[in-house]
Amino acid sequence: MIKKGFLIFLILIFSAVTAYAAEVAQQTTGMNPVLFFFIFLIVCIIIGIFAVLAGVGGGVIFTPVMMGFTPIDSFIVRATGLFVAMSGALVAARPFLRRGIANIKILFWSAAPYAVCCVIGALLAGYVKATMGIKGEAFVRGALGLLVIGIGLLFIFAGKRIEYPEVENVDSFTERIGLAMAYWEESLKTVVDYKVKNSHIALLLFCGTGLISGFFGLGAGWAMVPVFNLVMLAPLKVAATCSKVLIGIGDTAAIWPYIMAGGIFPLFAVPCMIGLIVGTLIGAKIMLKVKAGFVRWIIIVIMFFAGIRLILKAIKLWGMA
Amino acid sequence: MEERPKPPLAGIVYGDFAYWIAIAGMIIGIIGIVLYLGGVHQFIDARFLLSQLWSGKTAPEIWKMATGKMVHGHWYLHKLSYSDAIAMLGVGICCLSAVFGMWAACITMLTSKGKIGTLFFILAATVTVILTLSALGIISLHH
Repeated sequence: MIKKGFLIFLILIFSAVTAYAAEVAQQTTGMNPVLFFFIFLIVCIIIGIFAVLAGVGGGVIFTPVMMGFTPIDSFIVRATGLFVAMSGALVAARPFLRRGIANIKILFWSAAPYAVCCVIGALLAGYVKATMGIKGEAFVRGALGLLVIGIGLLFIFAGKRIEYPEVENVDSFTERIGLAMAYWEESLKTVVDYKVKNSHIALLLFCGTGLISGFFGLGAGWAMVPVFNLVMLAPLKVAATCSKVLIGIGDTAAIWPYIMAGGIFPLFAVPCMIGLIVGTLIGAKIMLKVKAGFVRWIIIVIMFFAGIRLILKAIKLWGMA
Repeated sequence: MEERPKPPLAGIVYGDFAYWIAIAGMIIGIIGIVLYLGGVHQFIDARFLLSQLWSGKTAPEIWKMATGKMVHGHWYLHKLSYSDAIAMLGVGICCLSAVFGMWAACITMLTSKGKIGTLFFILAATVTVILTLSALGIISLHH
């Protein structure tokens, strides 16, 4: 009960800080950089906590929330979104690789199309920004709004995951590549020797995921875990860990075009990075002690709300063009 | 008792490199931003930057107004006496961690005994080249 109260308290703080930030945004000239730093630090800590409790990456919430609720330019928000998703993933990857849960063969197999398409996505983002002006901005916000609502629907209707999928017939292509590996499952005290299939379909899906991630500056765990788990039929733990490591690699490829175009400002990027990492750590601790199914619904509501705001902003911008 | 499978060395090496370099970058970034917030030698005035960010200005507009020209590439490397350039250096190092990690993993795959196959080396090398080209600014939005 107390823990549930604590979460509700966090929600209230989040709402208050967001409302305050929006109010301060109206009076831009007198804003104190230290205050800005701490507001974003707190907002991102709370995003990080909720993201972990809802079972998603912080990056997928960060970009739509920042684009929907702050006046900051979408290119800068997307660059920062990629940076925070990437830095969180880089820090989290180490134990998964040390324990062998993240399958390095699957990783390299998926990293090649994902990284290439992530870069293409980032270059496309820059192209749209440079050539389409306000219409481009409206297009990006509207498309992200629709995508975020789609992700919310995906959470509601296709949230099913299989912990240990049964693989009956491995296709000859995947068999020949030999992606399967075994790992030690601590909770079962046994070796999990699994197989995977449909590696050729996954290859195509990772191209699409990379494109979306690079273009919109989103972490792509929401798409990658289902591809690993439901298409390739890798165990859920392998899927989740591979997705985390892959975000670190793929988003690195996509972030550089944004940096080279001057899209990262440390004053905005650093507090968001610290906040999301600290929030993720706190969220992981809370998750062990509290059943937080309702937080998933809060995240879904926030995503719908952010999606609608983005679409409304897009319509307004389109009208101005 | 079953024998625990040994994780591939290339994965461990990648994880370690990426982790420690990212941590180093984050620490430098935090030091830089603390100095920046403390008002120490700012390349872009923090209050001005904030007002521009909050008024929805684009990155090129902010750079042009703040410095008189649009910056491209690793601008911070030439301005390391400024606190915001130090913070940006930290961000840059953090973003380089996966690049170094992939190089280390590729070298490990070439030299270690427990090889995981030529195909996976080629894939890893391809990703490494893409990351490197991207980090060098060869794959870039600037024409």
